[in-house]
This record gives sequence, C-alpha cells and structure tokens, in this order.
Amino acid sequence: MLSKSAARLFFLVGTFATTVAFVALTVDTLRQVPEQTNEAQLSPAVIRGKELWESNNCMGCHTLFGEGAYYAPDLTQVYERRGPAFIRQMLTDPEGLYPGQRRMVTYAFTQEEQDDMIAFLEWCSHVDLNGFPPPPTVGVATAPAGAGAVAVPQVYQQICSACHAVGGVGGQVGPALDGVASRRDADYLRRWLEDPLAINPKSRMPKMPLTPEQLEEVLAYLSTLKAGEPAP
Amino acid sequence: MKFKSQRVAYWFFATCMLLLTLQIVYGIIMGFARIGMDGLHPVIPFNVARAVHTNLLVMWLLAGFMGAAYYIVPDECDRELEWPKLAYVQLIALVVTGVTAIIGFHFNWWEGRKFLEIPRPLDFLVVVDVLLFITNIGITIWKSKRITTTVSVLFFGLLMAALLYLPGMIPFDNQTVDSFFRWWVVHLWVEGVWELIMGGILAFLLIQITGVDREVVEKWLYVIVGFTFLSGILGTGHHYYYIGTPRYWLWIGGLFGALEPLAFLGMAIYGIAMYRRGGRNHPNQMALLWTLTTCILSFVGAGFLGAAHTLPQVNMYTHGTLVTGMHGHLAFWGAYACLVLAIITYAMPQVTGRKRNEDASASYAFWASNIGMLAMTVAFGIAGVAQVYLERRAGMEFLDVQRELEVHFIGLLLAAMVFGSGIAAFIYNFIRYGLPVAEPTGPADPTRRSSDEADGVVVPEPAAGG
Repeated sequence: MLSKSAARLFFLVGTFATTVAFVALTVDTLRQVPEQTNEAQLSPAVIRGKELWESNNCMGCHTLFGEGAYYAPDLTQVYERRGPAFIRQMLTDPEGLYPGQRRMVTYAFTQEEQDDMIAFLEWCSHVDLNGFPPPPTVGVATAPAGAGAVAVPQVYQQICSACHAVGGVGGQVGPALDGVASRRDADYLRRWLEDPLAINPKSRMPKMPLTPEQLEEVLAYLSTLKAGEPAP
Repeated sequence: MKFKSQRVAYWFFATCMLLLTLQIVYGIIMGFARIGMDGLHPVIPFNVARAVHTNLLVMWLLAGFMGAAYYIVPDECDRELEWPKLAYVQLIALVVTGVTAIIGFHFNWWEGRKFLEIPRPLDFLVVVDVLLFITNIGITIWKSKRITTTVSVLFFGLLMAALLYLPGMIPFDNQTVDSFFRWWVVHLWVEGVWELIMGGILAFLLIQITGVDREVVEKWLYVIVGFTFLSGILGTGHHYYYIGTPRYWLWIGGLFGALEPLAFLGMAIYGIAMYRRGGRNHPNQMALLWTLTTCILSFVGAGFLGAAHTLPQVNMYTHGTLVTGMHGHLAFWGAYACLVLAIITYAMPQVTGRKRNEDASASYAFWASNIGMLAMTVAFGIAGVAQVYLERRAGMEFLDVQRELEVHFIGLLLAAMVFGSGIAAFIYNFIRYGLPVAEPTGPADPTRRSSDEADGVVVPEPAAGG
C-alpha cells in the first residue's frame, strides 16, 4: 500500500518534472513567437493601438484571438472582413451604424487614435493562429453570390453585407436586398446611397463612407438583383 | 474555535457575503443586457459589468481563502495567530483596493486584460496586501511546534498564488506574448495552485468532519495535488492553441488538458471515500453536505465540463463562445465558491457559538443555490452549443446569432433567480449567526479522534481581556 512518503515523492517529482518541461517550452515559444506573429510589423502605431485596446477594456465585450467576453463580435479578422473604413465609422458612431442593436460605448477617439486602433487590428489579422477562426462548414455560402456578369464588389462584402442579406447571406439589421433592382430604379438607389436621410428622414441607415468609385461598384452590383432571379 | 485569533476569519467571511451579493447583481445586469434590456448601458456598459462580476468573484474567493487560512492555521498549528490586528488591517486594505478598482472600472480606468482588469498601480497594493497576509500566517506556522501536511499544502498554495500574480503585471507589446503570460496567472491559479489551497481546506474539513485518521487523509492529499500539477502545469497549453503560439501546444495542451479531470475525479472519490470511511455523525451535517458538494461539483464543472472542450479539434469551434461561460460558471461554483461556503458553514457555529446550521434557511440555501447554478450551467451550455453551430459552423453573422440565443438567456435569468434566492438565504443565515464570541469555545469537536490528540492538541487557557 502506498505510504505517505511515497505519495509526497510522487507530488514533488511530478511537479518538478512538469515545471521544468513547461519552462523549457516557454523559452522555445518565446523564440518562435516573433516570426509567427510578424513582430517586425509591430510599429509604434500598433503598440499605441494595443494600449487603447486595453485602456478601454475592449475585451470586456469583444473577443480577440477568441479571448474576451462573447458579448460583441470577435475582432481577430475584422480588418480583413470589414476593412478600415467600416472600423473607423464604427468607432465614430457605433449606434448609428447598428441602429437599434446591441449597443457599444461611443469612445471619443481622435483621428490618430482611430488610426492606431486600425493598425493594431490589422496587425492582429496577420498573426498565424494555427487555423483559428475556422471557416464555416455546414452548407451555407460564406459570401453573397454575384448575379450574372457582375462580381460582388469587395466594399459590398465589407460594409453593406454587415447589415443586409442577399440570398440569405449577410446581416439582418436592415432589409434583405433580393430583388431591390426591380423595386427601385437606378436613380433612386444612387440618391439613397448618397444620403439615405435626404430621401427618408426617418431612415435608420446612416450615410456610408463610400468613395465615388465604390458607389458605382455597389450600384452596378445592386442593379443585378432583380426579382425572380435569385442569386445563383 | 480553539483560539481567540480565529475570530478574524469571521470578518473575512462577512466580506465574502457582501462581495458575492454585488457579484450576483452585476451578473443579473449582464443577463438582462443579453436579452436586449440594456437600459443601464450609459452608466454600466457590458464591459464594466463583466469586469466587476469576475473581479468581485476573485476578490471574494481570495477573501474566503484568507479567512479559511486564518481559521485553519491556528487550529492546525496549535497556537494563536502571530498578529491578529495585522489581519484586520490587511482585510481593510484588501477591501479598499478592491473597491477602488471597481469604482475605477465605472470611470473607464483599466489594465484591461481579461480577468486582470485591475489597473496596474493597484496591482502593487494587491501584492503588498497579500505579502502581509502570507507573512502573518507564515510566521504563525514557522513558530509552531506542529506543522501538518494540511497546513503546508495550504501555505504553499497561498504563497504560489501570490508569486504567480507577478507575471501578470509585466507589460508586453505583443498581444500573443501578453496573452501567453496572462494565462500564467489565470490558468496556473485556478487549475494549479488554487487547487492546493482547495486540497488543504478540504483535507482540514474532512479530518474535522469525518474523523478519518489524519495520516490517511493527508497521504491522499499528496496524491491529488500531485495529479493536479502533473496535468495542470502543462495543461496551460490548452490556452495556447489559437493565440499565435507554436503548433506543438495543440497536442501538449490537448494531452495534459485531458488529464486534468483526473485530479478533480480524485478529489471527488477522495471526499466520498473519506466520508464513508469516517462513518461518524458530526453535528454540522450542513458543512459535510457543502464539503461533499465541493468534491463532486468541482469534478463535474471544472473536470468534466472542462474536458468537454479541452481537445483542440473541439476547442477550434468552442473557443471564444458561450461554451466557455458554461464551463466557467460551474467550475468556479463547484470548486471554489462551494469550498468557501463549506468552510464558512463549518466555522460559523464555532466562531459565534450558535448552531444555526440546522436552520431551515441553511438547508434552503444549499439546495436552491446548487439547483439554480446547475440550471444556469445548462442554459449557458445550450446557448453555447447553439452559438457554435450557427456562428462557427453555418457562418451566420454574430449579432443575428445573438438574437437567436436570447431565449436561452431568459432561462438563464430564471435559473439565476433560484440561485440568487439560495444565496440570499445563506446570507440571511450568516447575519442571524451574529457576531463572533469574545473567548475561545474549546476544541472544534470534543469527540475528536485520539490520533489527533496524540499530535499534541491542547486546549489553551482562555486569554484575559478582549
């Protein structure tokens, strides 16, 4: 039968051995992390962005690298998914961008601070996370399909699809855009995108930060969304 | 209560009651925010409620561990606490630091790293405070003629907990390195040295309540804490799968993470075996119930539900979802909250000289809080699994998924009401116990086994004055 001194020996030896292994692995990890995380890209702006991230406890709602509070979206890939214009708009007026939705604090960031935060999120999006977050696997398209000859413009995927769905893919904050080209003519859509509130002062859609070229791209895509022609 | 200075434990336990109440209030604020009722958002946004909720948990558990140590160390070491007055100073300092941090959160003052939100300047105060505590019990143990295994394990756990706070205070520019060392504190606390504290307190309770021979209890204590460290230290790797650290952590963390439930399973078997072996009717059956519940629910919550998503293939999808909330709630409740409530239930009749442990409110507190917490865990679990499928597998937008999950949070809030009513009953009972008696009430239990008496347990002469 096991004696008390044998039990104590098991405790001491086991603890010592695993501690040594853990410290050795830590040393090796610290050796490999600079390459895996592109530490060379860690600019002063990125570091200032990280300080902003912490001094406002962003992790108290969002997650980053899957770590956080699960109340707001994971921001690991947000730079790729939504792009800098969207992030800037969100930091400027979160409730304007997601009217009537779960609320985010409006932080009074300066232009430079917004740049720093965007730089930090861009750096995060390039860290090699061993495959996280995983791509969806269950038979749903991950991006709205292009209809006909017009491919879905990147700006549509980054900004518009956050709130609007086509063919069931995209957000449900605003109305789905299936068949929108049959309901509205091109001129209306153009005026709407230029300033939604000029057409409907009660609209909850804000004026989006689109360049003239992006506006044309989005219009060209929307004009293909005709009723009775579901996106392939 | 054998020694007058054990009374200080009462004030630590009272602090626990206060902080636990506040923790639940902030939890309920978050529950309502999740079903869209976020009217408090301008004053208490979610990130504030969340940080207050988790930091209050850590604070009241630490206050509970400290109170437990102040109660157990004199008992085990057979002498008065070295500096009882310092214990009061240290408690007040802890509360002031904690309350400053909590108020600071409401004014957007943060260190802002998950679980380590307390602003850095206050970290130093925490360290000083914990050093005072460690010194106080350390000197008490050092000067004692009898150093038991139970008290050594408890002390080692508390000392390591203090030391492991330090890696979390170092600032890093790289988010990955930052997170890496953050887990040194968070993981090595709750799945490492806190289990030593837990083992020490459980051993004390089992020796006192079941009357099983100290040699037997302490031998198995070594085996369990041995398993804890064998699995828990390298098990830290299960936090290093997807944060930008090398791939080998996937199998190291997976393998050792999968072994972690063994320590908790050991704890469960240990508690039940000692109870059956003891076969003695201790007058405080409520304390026995809480002690056994700690053993069992720590296995279910920390061991089993942790193992459920510790494998990297599963964690790839559950990482960063409400599945973690499911595991977190029952793990902290089962392993640590129940433990502190067990030692409070055990100590209160002795410290105050009243036997309210047989009161109906004590019984209601036990059943309502446990059933409520189990129901909350189920609600979190269903919400978490639904989130995994809708968001991670099917690729739905985050906020659309959250709307789908609201119904589960209504269930969660209902369960939280049951849980909260149990805690309210516990606190009602705590208040009705009244203040601690001025003089020692004699040995914890007159029917204590002879093996313990042979160790040299002597009832001291009541000291004069107050």
